Amino acid sequence: MFVLSVGKIPFIHVGNQVVSELGPIVQFTKAKGHSLSDSLDDVQRAEMKAYMELVYNMLLTSELFVQWCDDATAGEISRPRYSSPYSWPLGNILAYQKQWEVRRKMNAIGWGGKTLEQVYEDVNQCCQALSQRLGTQPYFFNKQATELDALVFGHLFTILTTRLTSTELAERVKSYSNLLSFCRRIEQTYFEDKKLMKD
Amino acid sequence: MAAPDELFCWEGDWGLPSVSTDCLVVLVRVRSASLRRKKSSKTSHALLLPMVSPGSLPALRTNQNETLSRPSDIIIHLRKQKFNADFDLSAKEGADSLAFISLLEEKLMPALIYTFWVEPKNFVEVTRRWYAEHMMFPLNFFLPGRMQSRQLEKLRLLRGDEHLEAGEELEKELYRDAAECMNLLSQRLGSHKFFFGDSPSSLDAYVFGHLAPILKCKLPNGKLQQHLKSLDNLSDFCSNILLLYFPRDGREPSAQKAPAAPEAGDFDNVPNKRRKQFLSALFALGAMLSYALLTGMVSIQHGHQEALEEPPDPEHIGAHEEEGDG
Repeated sequence: MFVLSVGKIPFIHVGNQVVSELGPIVQFTKAKGHSLSDSLDDVQRAEMKAYMELVYNMLLTSELFVQWCDDATAGEISRPRYSSPYSWPLGNILAYQKQWEVRRKMNAIGWGGKTLEQVYEDVNQCCQALSQRLGTQPYFFNKQATELDALVFGHLFTILTTRLTSTELAERVKSYSNLLSFCRRIEQTYFEDKKLMKD
Repeated sequence: MAAPDELFCWEGDWGLPSVSTDCLVVLVRVRSASLRRKKSSKTSHALLLPMVSPGSLPALRTNQNETLSRPSDIIIHLRKQKFNADFDLSAKEGADSLAFISLLEEKLMPALIYTFWVEPKNFVEVTRRWYAEHMMFPLNFFLPGRMQSRQLEKLRLLRGDEHLEAGEELEKELYRDAAECMNLLSQRLGSHKFFFGDSPSSLDAYVFGHLAPILKCKLPNGKLQQHLKSLDNLSDFCSNILLLYFPRDGREPSAQKAPAAPEAGDFDNVPNKRRKQFLSALFALGAMLSYALLTGMVSIQHGHQEALEEPPDPEHIGAHEEEGDG
């Protein structure tokens, strides 16, 4: 079954409405009366939003960088994967176009001149910040999961389980034991019928 | 230590030491750290340097003659030179800094770019005029336009929309994000003087760099400014930093620092204006002369000066008669 969306995933389909991307989905569910962050006070909500932006800014950008701006990874993994649904030569063209787009974006935000090492260092810093914030708590705020927990889980899980040419990115994340146990805990709590992560 | 590094920034206006966000961030870092160390730092306000392209200010020329252009690179370099404002922060505060800086860059910066570079009225009446006045001839004709297209492309890439144009929808969205960001910052700041403790950290520098231009610059479309002014603690925060670290600029809005570089602010406007007037007078004269020559009112014959005086008379009378008829 093919579902036409506005081109952005994730999306949810409720009745005859389609809402895509995390931010709008959160707003939508909030409007329907389900919100994860109601119990937070103003300062905590400010911090939560800020940490979410940190994840978008650093983790997401680093993931894109490693996938598309590192020639080895792009050539061996990202381009073939991106072009696989299409036949030759359309797949190749689209894959190169995507790579070019991502590189342009990196240049625009000032990441164009970065080396892979610097990006790994940025990921390290970001994970360190998240690890500091998490500390020994089960979730980032209170004893309850919020949108931030969902976002962090999504990204860290992706980094830990996506196959890349080098495992350095995953190793950096794994070096923070509380983040690793956080991911496992979320997986066990919410996805217990499916084993998502291999040990 | 060897000769000091030189920092090149855009000039200031409207009571600020510099009009550019990135320059402000670096300036606050340098000032707060150097005051703490009681060491002087050398800052030049350069209008244009041949080796530094104006789109990439601030720029730091190190004593090894290397030029660093990204604010983050400059700050890392300064940190290595022990100009560090952050060693008093705990690990958690450092993490919070990083998070809030990301928030600023994602939510507030697009609105800043829009309000200064994309919104048509603001750009034409304020931004373009300011940059054109502060650049040398003939760069002032095309460089502001080029800076604008670069900023527009940056905004397009940030929003992920290739065909973004100025418009009410976009403006509403961006300003809404920016207002939310400012509210969050205000909530986090509360009634404290700085975000962490009693002295500014890098987060304070970033927040100041982004908010100060909005607060101080008078724009035709000033919705962001209105919202910021309604948040008292943020306005006080900006004024506080200005008073503490840039007292001269804070007091006199139109004062210019006299830097080492000879191309200082106001002085250039006068010779430029004169030069322009002279050039345009010359051009007008040249145009009139060539018209006269082409229509034959004045003809030049080598060696016969009387020829210049006699033939024009009947021709002139003839021309006048024609004009009288026509």
